[in-house]
Amino acid sequence: MTRKYIVVGIIFALLILVPPIANVTDDTFLVSMVTRFVIYALAAVSLDLILGYGALVSFGHAAFFGIGGYVVAIVGFHMDMGDTLFGWAGSNSALVIWPLAMIMSAVVGAVMGALSLRTSGIQFIMITLAFAQMLYFVLVGLVQYGGDDGLSITNRNLIPGLDVDDNTTFYYVCLVLLTVWVLVCRRIVNSPFGMVLRGFKQNERRNVNLGYAPMPYKLSAFVISAAGTGLAGVLWANYALYASPDMASWLKSGELMAMIILGGMGTIFGPIIGAAVFLGLEQILTAWTEHWMLFLGPVLILVVLFSRRGIFGWLVGGRNND
Amino acid sequence: MTDKKPKLEIRNLRKSFGALAATDDVNLTVYADEIHALIGPNGAGKTTLISQISGEIMPDSGQILLDGKDITRVPPHQRAAVGLARSFQISQLYHDFTVEDNVAMAVQAGTSKRFSLWRNARKDESLRKPAREALAKVGLEHRANDLVSSLAHGEKRQLELAIALSLNAPVLLLDEPMAGLGAEESMLMKDILQGLKGQYAMLLVEHDMDIVFALADRVTVLVYGHPIFTGTPDEVRDHPDVRDAYLGNE
Repeated sequence: MTRKYIVVGIIFALLILVPPIANVTDDTFLVSMVTRFVIYALAAVSLDLILGYGALVSFGHAAFFGIGGYVVAIVGFHMDMGDTLFGWAGSNSALVIWPLAMIMSAVVGAVMGALSLRTSGIQFIMITLAFAQMLYFVLVGLVQYGGDDGLSITNRNLIPGLDVDDNTTFYYVCLVLLTVWVLVCRRIVNSPFGMVLRGFKQNERRNVNLGYAPMPYKLSAFVISAAGTGLAGVLWANYALYASPDMASWLKSGELMAMIILGGMGTIFGPIIGAAVFLGLEQILTAWTEHWMLFLGPVLILVVLFSRRGIFGWLVGGRNND
Repeated sequence: MTDKKPKLEIRNLRKSFGALAATDDVNLTVYADEIHALIGPNGAGKTTLISQISGEIMPDSGQILLDGKDITRVPPHQRAAVGLARSFQISQLYHDFTVEDNVAMAVQAGTSKRFSLWRNARKDESLRKPAREALAKVGLEHRANDLVSSLAHGEKRQLELAIALSLNAPVLLLDEPMAGLGAEESMLMKDILQGLKGQYAMLLVEHDMDIVFALADRVTVLVYGHPIFTGTPDEVRDHPDVRDAYLGNE
């Protein structure tokens, strides 16, 4: 238990110290790179909530990442053009756009979840994948919004009192949101609701027998997870100043899963490490070869073979069923 | 028996799987404070019957009544709330949870907190205290904080019973609570059930005749899905058809 908190403490201390370290070493790229870690971590943590705790292997979570990004991009696009969106003049405030994007993701998540949660196992994986691919091709088909090429974004959404155009400030905004989301997810998995969700993973028959209907619990978790992934998409669009259909492609869903498996499934904290290791390896290895997946593959296999709960499980040690 | 009010009634229940009549016109009444044993040779359809009462299997025809109310079509996840608790022949437990967690899951099911996202389930005494009390009833309180995966088989059977008790349902459907237990463990389980007698209406599926005759107020003999006789243990023991169909084979 204590070792776990030490590991978690070190992770967050390192994340907080990134900008000062970058300052000292005069490494302008570092903050930008770790911002990407943090944004993907937010998406991976969200997916871990249902994948690690509910055994709901959603292969379509990139859809919500894409929705988050496109809400930012489309609203910005219409404001740049000086026209309205369904009669709404638009807004450039993060306090409006970000919750809006989360709600959009949650609504799509509710529809997608309500349909796909009627299935389980491999069917669930395939149906979530199918939904995400549908969205991907819809985005490709939106010629008005750049189609294949995606949409550039002129400005980041504004937060009152903060200069989000400053990369360090933006990094801390992302880190604060990740921290808050991690705390929310921890809270959820330890709540009565979370216990029921984990119950469905361990023994669905017993859960039903005790009186828990699967749909309300699984769907609620799916929607919460979708909203968190949508927020990550929002941050990505603000970070890259760009949204493209690739955000919603099945490759992105696969990357999120790889991060969770690397970091440790069903740990909430693990996917943060997973995101950093995955993207860090990508960064380092692509400098050598474009076939960097050749090296990632064996790493994934080793982690899966030697640690049931990924890198986090290995760092925390012992048997940890939390 | 003091109370002659029927608690659980099964009327003309039928269920076939293809040509096999697993439940063949079953009529059965369990009174409010009795232990009603259900015996029969392997494949007689005992578990299938329990599964229909607990809602996992939908009967083809017939009725299941609880306190005179038809619950035949109540979905399985609502059966506990209307008053039916079931223990499984093969223990159905949460293996990554502690023993106390397992029971707290049953306690929580009957509260309004079941959907709470914010409170800490493991620190909520209103869930934990009843869970520990149920564990004490089955003699498992010393294992409360151990993982289920570390329990011995007999302890899992005790836990299975504690979970069923924690649903606070007036009717217990006990599907072979002694399954796989050694002689000593069976005696322990028998004593536990004896101690619960009169507090619940119990439908008990059991193979061990000594235990059935020691515990049960009445016994129903099921053969090929059909109840051939219902009576007191003494009547069952002496009934010629029952001897032929079942006891004679033992």
